[in-house]
Amino acid sequence: MTGGKMVLAADAQALETKHLGFTISPHEECAVEEAVRIGGEVVVLTLGPAEAEEQLRDCMAIGADRGILLKTSEEWDAQSTAAAIVDAIRAEGPFDLILFGNESADAAGFQVGIRVAHALGLPVVTGLKKIEVQGARVRCERDVGGARDVYEAPLPTVLTVLEGLNLPRYPSVPGRLRARSKPLTVVEPGRPEQKLEKLRLVVPEGQGKQAEILEGAAQVVAVMQSLGVA
Amino acid sequence: MIVCFVDDDELSAQAVGFARRLGDVRAVTFAGAYQPAAWAKALAAQDADAIVAAGSDRGNELLAHVGAVLDQPFAANAIALDGDTVTRVRWGGSLLEEAWLHGAPKLLTVAPHTQPAAEIGDVETLDAPDDGSPKVLERVEESSGGVSLRDAKVVVSGGRGVGSAEGFEIIEELAGLLGAAVGCSRVVTSAGWRPHADQVGQTGTKISADLYVACGISGATQHIAGAKGAKKILAINTDPEAPIFASADYAVIGDLHEVVPAISAELRKVRG
Amino acid sequence: MLVCGGIFARRAVFLTRLVLDAKPSDRPGDVAERVIAETEIVLGQKKLLQRLVPGLMHAFIFWGFIVLFPTIVLAAIDVAGGHVATPEWYRVLSDVFAVLVLVGVATALVIRTIVRPARFVGSHVAEGYFILGMIALVVITLLLWHEVDGIGFAWAHLIVIGVFLAYLPYSKHLHIATAAVNVWMARTRRRGRLEPLRFDVPDDELRFGVATIFDLTRKEVVDAFSCTECGRCQDVCPAHATGKLLSPKLLIMGVRDQLFVQSAEPIVGNGVPEEMIWDCVTCGACVEVCPVSIEHVDHIVDLRRSRLMVDSAFPAEAEPMLRDVERASNPWGKPQTERAAWAAELGVRVLEPGDPAPEYLYWVGCAASFDERAKKSAESTAKLLQKAGVDFAILGPREGCTGDPARRMGNEYVFQAAAEQNVATLNEQGVTKIVASCPHCFNTLANEYGDFGGSYEVLHHTELLSQLVDEGRLTPAGDAGSITYHDSCYLARHNDVRMEPRKLLNVIGQPVEMKRSGKNTFCCGAGGAHMWMEERGSQINVERVREAAETGAETLAVACPFCTVMLDDGVREVGAEMRVADVATLLAESLE
Repeated sequence: MTGGKMVLAADAQALETKHLGFTISPHEECAVEEAVRIGGEVVVLTLGPAEAEEQLRDCMAIGADRGILLKTSEEWDAQSTAAAIVDAIRAEGPFDLILFGNESADAAGFQVGIRVAHALGLPVVTGLKKIEVQGARVRCERDVGGARDVYEAPLPTVLTVLEGLNLPRYPSVPGRLRARSKPLTVVEPGRPEQKLEKLRLVVPEGQGKQAEILEGAAQVVAVMQSLGVA
Repeated sequence: MIVCFVDDDELSAQAVGFARRLGDVRAVTFAGAYQPAAWAKALAAQDADAIVAAGSDRGNELLAHVGAVLDQPFAANAIALDGDTVTRVRWGGSLLEEAWLHGAPKLLTVAPHTQPAAEIGDVETLDAPDDGSPKVLERVEESSGGVSLRDAKVVVSGGRGVGSAEGFEIIEELAGLLGAAVGCSRVVTSAGWRPHADQVGQTGTKISADLYVACGISGATQHIAGAKGAKKILAINTDPEAPIFASADYAVIGDLHEVVPAISAELRKVRG
Repeated sequence: MLVCGGIFARRAVFLTRLVLDAKPSDRPGDVAERVIAETEIVLGQKKLLQRLVPGLMHAFIFWGFIVLFPTIVLAAIDVAGGHVATPEWYRVLSDVFAVLVLVGVATALVIRTIVRPARFVGSHVAEGYFILGMIALVVITLLLWHEVDGIGFAWAHLIVIGVFLAYLPYSKHLHIATAAVNVWMARTRRRGRLEPLRFDVPDDELRFGVATIFDLTRKEVVDAFSCTECGRCQDVCPAHATGKLLSPKLLIMGVRDQLFVQSAEPIVGNGVPEEMIWDCVTCGACVEVCPVSIEHVDHIVDLRRSRLMVDSAFPAEAEPMLRDVERASNPWGKPQTERAAWAAELGVRVLEPGDPAPEYLYWVGCAASFDERAKKSAESTAKLLQKAGVDFAILGPREGCTGDPARRMGNEYVFQAAAEQNVATLNEQGVTKIVASCPHCFNTLANEYGDFGGSYEVLHHTELLSQLVDEGRLTPAGDAGSITYHDSCYLARHNDVRMEPRKLLNVIGQPVEMKRSGKNTFCCGAGGAHMWMEERGSQINVERVREAAETGAETLAVACPFCTVMLDDGVREVGAEMRVADVATLLAESLE
């Protein structure tokens, strides 16, 4: 989503989205870019409303071959999202590599990829900024504050990635036009009982705290000194 | 009994503080190479009412594995648990969600910098046999010159208002004087003015500085998500309506191209 | 003679085929306007005569050759043994013009050898001398034939003409055959309009601008044939003047070179260096000055289109703008919900779906909605309209970027999506009259939205405000001191709005003109999406501010939000003691 102020819809179940644009989130955009760079058939999948087709088409514009939309008008918790994805993967797969964004921008559950891996009995490595497929194995790296941890996993495997993994290309127009006619499968999975069940959203207090206005560099430096950083 | 996974970081102390308010806490950790699936299996085997960790990369990862092993829901980045009702942070902190966390044990991580830290006390080292799942094979140290963004005490950051790659000279100058790391907003990395490694935000680095100086950054929620680990935020922007001011402790309303060099000059003057 | 004629004819067939094989240009009727253009620009040499000495130099040669044309026939008859008595009056007339041609050639030599203007840098100098030599020979042999009256000189005259004829289509002198055609094909109205691409056609008809010469339009091919390398475009180009690589002349020459060798290689990177196409601010100064009506901006935008849309290759710093125009509906990526924030305090009406249309829809534009400095102009305009009792409203969050920066950057696809969205909103609201603050929006709304089903009467705010002053609905007082007015390219040059802002400034202060003003204005540096690109080398806005400061005016008046920001930055950089303010702001102040 693009936009500044968080305004809730009247039922406090979702954000007011009038006049807001939606986009694929940066981690996921990098995941799609990486998949296209690695090559082979690339299938892109999401769970979301009918309008999410647009984001799937964007992914197909940069090179994904086909899309799967798990269509729903409701928000799903991470557990049921993962279960629906597992069903879709079983129906459409097998796949050599299943890439996820490390966490979603909105729900930020940090877990869908890991749950899918467990359900499929696959290894999983998360938070990656570098992926190298070497034959039947994949070597990957994760930033850990000034250093990189190196992992390896046999294919097939699940990987979750972070923005910075690559620089996603700007979609070409021929790519966008081709994407219009690439195959898109729409499935409407049933939403199971939610085990992390959203009651309501709240705009936290402390948003809109009153900043102290500083005039001039001398005041700024005085503040820095009082904080012990100057 | 609350089982709390701890690492040797400040966030773990915050998680322990949170866990103590829920009940008796057993602080646990592991030895040897990090192997998330195996460690999680060991955690999942503990008899506990709740399993808690910090909302760090590792904490979130481990609890997600535990959730998958136990097939139980996991609430990431919680700030409160009251019976079955969890309050957690979403949209990088700009929204809170209240939800029922069904199932047992309760699995949750604690949103960073939302809870006071506590003394961790005794830590029990659990055994986690290698199950063949991916683990850390080696750690490659990066020989980056400057101060690391994540650990810097001061971060001076520039946004769209800086205007160009060259415009960062004045930001670097101020950062140099403060011994600070240089950061930037997402638009700056997209424009190719700075590498992604410098990006502060929800999808970049989340900082934990004593002071964050945001120059010409309007303050999109995604940016604030990475910046709010800072104890104090000083924002410099020409637009008094810029959302960054709503998250800032100190505000300078003015053109960064004038204000930043003036601060550098003042710092030099004060130091003689 | 036959051999020469054969060489000429063969080349002419080849060149004609190149034109016919090119993509059609969308240039509608307007016969009357085209005849006027031919009369003024070709026969009247209007563009050339903007510079008196080189203009007369060319005019003498051009008019001379028109007068002298029949001498070829007469000489041919003479040589063939027949004898037609040349009427005495024509003999005298042709001698006079022959001498004028020689004067022209001599002047040209003086210009080329002594004055040596920078505009010739990069032109084929030797070829120029050869052509001048041939011209001189043509008339010298004519004079000798007339004066000495021997059949030998008639032969010489014809042979020189024959050789010249054979050489001509292989040289830059080809313009004598194509310039008139090019002038005929040039834009007659809606000069600020770019030709739209179509994305709803079968795959094999899709065109994404110009990658190789086989993608060029007919006009672009004739453009390339018509260039004489005179360099007037290079002289007025703000990018060139500030040390960028771009020379509109070299760009057209690059296209022509690729055309003549029928290269299948991409033009960019071969005939034209990549940097050149991104240096352009689309100010149109080159197009305005070109004596043969070459439309350089079309070439540049077409080359950009292919690089951007097909190869995804463009200056990286512009990517956030492109993504934000598409996703956030404004190039700053600000939330649309805050678009009308400036207007809330003023009580400006925000149109909701289903509301009756106001007399004027005020199209604020992204810059004046979101940029601190540019906002002042919107506030002033709204206050003035309120004071004058104009029935107006804004679209608020439903006003999206017109797509201009994306389009000028080369992203026709994103532009068209924005255009369709905005046209739908405007039509749905029943809007018929629009007043726009931003000249870029103004140009797009007035000249380009017609292609997407949006036809409105569009005024720039200076035009409407000037009307209101004329009608006595606003009564400004004059105490604003000395003011110099910076013409925005998209008003003064692309849309002929030059008088209205000046009329307003005449009432409220003492205007002083800069050296380059009106149609000859010098860009602020922001056009062609350069607001979102980094500038290499010295800065266009700084150059312009220096020029403004030379007038000694206290105020630098502008009528464009981008000019406001660029020139205000320039004033700070130069340290000039000048205030940059929109005409609307100055007018509002004069009423207070």
